[in-house]
Amino acid sequence: MKKNRFAAVLSPICMLLFSFLLAGLLILALGKSPLVAYGALFQGAFGSSTAWINTINKAVPICLAAFAVGICSKVGVFNIGVEGQLLFGALGSALAGIYITGLPAFLHIPLCISAGMLSGALWALIPTVLYIKRDANIIVSNILFNLVAKLVLIALVLGPFRGDNAMVPGTNRIQETAALPILVGGSAKLSSAVLLMLGVAILLYIYLNHTTNGFELRAVGLNHHAASYAGIPSKKYVFFALLAGGMLAGMIGAMEVQGTYLMLYNDFSPGYGFDGIPIALLAQGNPLVSIVGGLLFGGLRSGSQFMQIAVGVDKEIITVIQGLLVICIAAEPIFRRGINLAGRWLDRRIVAWKQ
Amino acid sequence: MEYALRMCAITKHFPRVIANDKVDLTLRKGEILALVGENGAGKSTLMNILYGLHTPDSGEIYIHGKKMNYQTTLGAIEQGVGMVHQHFMLIPRLSIVENVVLGNEPGSALRFHRARAKKEVSPFLEQFKLEVSLDTPVQDLSMGMQQKVEIIKVLYRKANILILDEPTAVLTPQEIDELGVILASLKKQGMSIIIITHKLQEVIDFSDRITVMRRGVHIGTVETAGTDVNEIVGMMVGRNVNLGQYDIKGVPDKDVLLSVKDLSYRAGERFILKDINLEVHKGEILGIAGIDGSGQDELTEIINGTIKPTQGEILFADNNVTHRNPLQRRRSGMGFIPQDRLKHGLVSDFSIEENLTLGFERKREYNRKGFINKKNRKALAKAAIARFDIRTTGEEVLAGTLSGGNQQKVIVAREMGARPRIIVANQPTRGVDIGAIAFIHQTLIGLRNEGGGVLLASLELDELMSLSDRIAVMYKGRLMGTLAGRDATREKLGYMMVGRMNDNVHNGENLQTEKGARHEKE
Ligand SMILES: Nc1ncnc2c1ncn2[C@@H]1O[C@H](COP(=O)(O)OP(=O)(O)OP(=O)(O)O)[C@@H](O)[C@H]1O
Ligand SMILES: [Mg+2]
Repeated sequence: MKKNRFAAVLSPICMLLFSFLLAGLLILALGKSPLVAYGALFQGAFGSSTAWINTINKAVPICLAAFAVGICSKVGVFNIGVEGQLLFGALGSALAGIYITGLPAFLHIPLCISAGMLSGALWALIPTVLYIKRDANIIVSNILFNLVAKLVLIALVLGPFRGDNAMVPGTNRIQETAALPILVGGSAKLSSAVLLMLGVAILLYIYLNHTTNGFELRAVGLNHHAASYAGIPSKKYVFFALLAGGMLAGMIGAMEVQGTYLMLYNDFSPGYGFDGIPIALLAQGNPLVSIVGGLLFGGLRSGSQFMQIAVGVDKEIITVIQGLLVICIAAEPIFRRGINLAGRWLDRRIVAWKQ
Repeated sequence: MEYALRMCAITKHFPRVIANDKVDLTLRKGEILALVGENGAGKSTLMNILYGLHTPDSGEIYIHGKKMNYQTTLGAIEQGVGMVHQHFMLIPRLSIVENVVLGNEPGSALRFHRARAKKEVSPFLEQFKLEVSLDTPVQDLSMGMQQKVEIIKVLYRKANILILDEPTAVLTPQEIDELGVILASLKKQGMSIIIITHKLQEVIDFSDRITVMRRGVHIGTVETAGTDVNEIVGMMVGRNVNLGQYDIKGVPDKDVLLSVKDLSYRAGERFILKDINLEVHKGEILGIAGIDGSGQDELTEIINGTIKPTQGEILFADNNVTHRNPLQRRRSGMGFIPQDRLKHGLVSDFSIEENLTLGFERKREYNRKGFINKKNRKALAKAAIARFDIRTTGEEVLAGTLSGGNQQKVIVAREMGARPRIIVANQPTRGVDIGAIAFIHQTLIGLRNEGGGVLLASLELDELMSLSDRIAVMYKGRLMGTLAGRDATREKLGYMMVGRMNDNVHNGENLQTEKGARHEKE
């Protein structure tokens, strides 16, 4: 048992090191020092309180995306539709934030968040129903829905909901009453979205591990035949988990609109929905572990800017790192086996050394 | 003496258990060696090591006198070792020929030479009397046929050491006889064979020598000719067990507990079940006999509620439960032991503790206001492990890592723990060791003696005959008739199982009167 858990922790770490190593070679090939570049990356991500705030703000949507992917993976479905769902979430939250007026903040904020979550869930509804009722491939339909969402958002934001400031391709600002409170002000602002994200993580963790519903949901994901045989309504749980994924994705949009931009741009998301995928897979859907991964990816995103300015290494190098990581995850059995073999070799060394 | 295989001092640790502790095993050229032992004794582990699936912590393997150091199954296959697993490893949607050649496809890396594959595989089909097309998807084959495909797969790879892990667990009596013939002919061709089985009669019938393991240790190896079942049992369990001595008390009640009325089930145009009428009385064990694939699986699944009948009704304790879901049926006092424990019975990645509550997680003992009552669950799991003698190192061990027999005990423990009024069991002792078989049988009889009902579908006639008050025989989805348990003989059942009516047999319609008469007599 212990040994297995050890390998479970060790293999993600090995994957990370491996990805950084390979990307480092690339940096070397570009004629820059990987050590200096990574130093700058780290500096930019965690080197100051401002850096930390930026990292956390970036980590919030990534973590939520990992939760959205994670809950679906718990019922055995790969949710690649987070990106589209979060765009719709942003739309819902922004519309409620702009056009509903006269509410006090303590009502308006949750209303807008709910609107965002609901929109995300609605966008997830069609692929979900097609999947459950017609057995349509949900990966394909979600990818299509991501594209459609992006186009619909552009059409709406540049069309009917275009703001008064012609310079910005976005809507008007949301009402003051819909904006999330700022925790730490200054040049970088820490929005209270991080608290909401942590709250969601804890609730999700409790739900999955300590409630009877969560138990049934996990049973469905691990063996839906046995779950159905035991009388657990498998399809209902799949339906629920996929919509919950949509809601969590919708919440990302709401957090970005109400916490970061206070309006809706058409391309506010640099692909947060996709960042969540490798994290959720590495964390095996565990929300608390996902937070660590989210911080790391958030750090990569926020530090890369600084790295580009300071060292001149293009910030796209972090996309390379993330891509390598995804490949590593796909090749995870190889890593695990490598670790086991290495462990056995070490064992033998230790035994030999003792004698 | 020429040995095809020698395994010396093989040791294998799993987290917290020693599955093999300095085990020695020898296999002569051209012999059949039976490897026996209780559930969890480490038989599969030892064979998995031989097949390169596990690497031993220490120990050596010699094949034809040469020391081996392969670490993968590929290496083992190259050395002529082939294995048919306890749980088949075929790909259901692929055809017979595709499954056989998978990994060794003739042709180039880019082009699969299908015609050649077929030509190479078809002689095997004849040798094994498989009368189906090579293009049949494996999922459409009966268990016995699937197993033949597995064996063919091994032969196709030119194995000369053949390992069969519980090959007969899923076979009908006829198929077992056929397997015996096949093994004898393979032996004549010079194959050396290791067979793991829990059925001691087969051990005596098939093997030349017997190796016994207990709790990871090699207890001894004996010549089959010079031993008997009792000696083997003694070596296996280290004490005497009473087999077949069951305490069946009283006669079944008149009251009907479960009745199946005019039940039909159709998949597409084909009737899987047609016009089935059955009754299980209080205090009765009703056996269901039939060759594999006669509709027993579908019948038990319909009673469970996972599949819906095309026609007909299920009544349980005078309530029509036809439209209730599995959960409601279980709540009202039905318990189920499915035939495929890994597919329907367990979640392998859940712990024993979690599996013991599966389907019952909402009961008061386990559920407090929507939260799992983990403390209680753990305590109850510990008690169940002790009571049902589940051999494991702890309740948080994953069910998937248990040996086959112990997995079955987890299911039995769960279903019996809910104090059901009826148990619907489909091959409940499949792959279970003799001690555990006796235990499961006792449990079912206990339920019967207390006035509960049991519907027991089994492929093993001995099991049916020693437990059942009545035996209903199915053939191609129809009920051929019902025999009183004490009137049943292997011959009569065998006839009916292949669709031949017997004069002494009553069919569904006059079952009622016949039984009524029987009750009055008693
Ligand atoms: N992958 C594994 N991880 C951990 N423990 C294991 C694993 N495989 C087997 N074991 C343990 O090793 C022991 C031996 O198991 P094995 O499957 O070899 O028994 P067996 O003799 O084949 O039993 P059965 O007759 O029930 O199939 C058991 O205690 C089992 O729980
Ligand atoms: Mg075994």
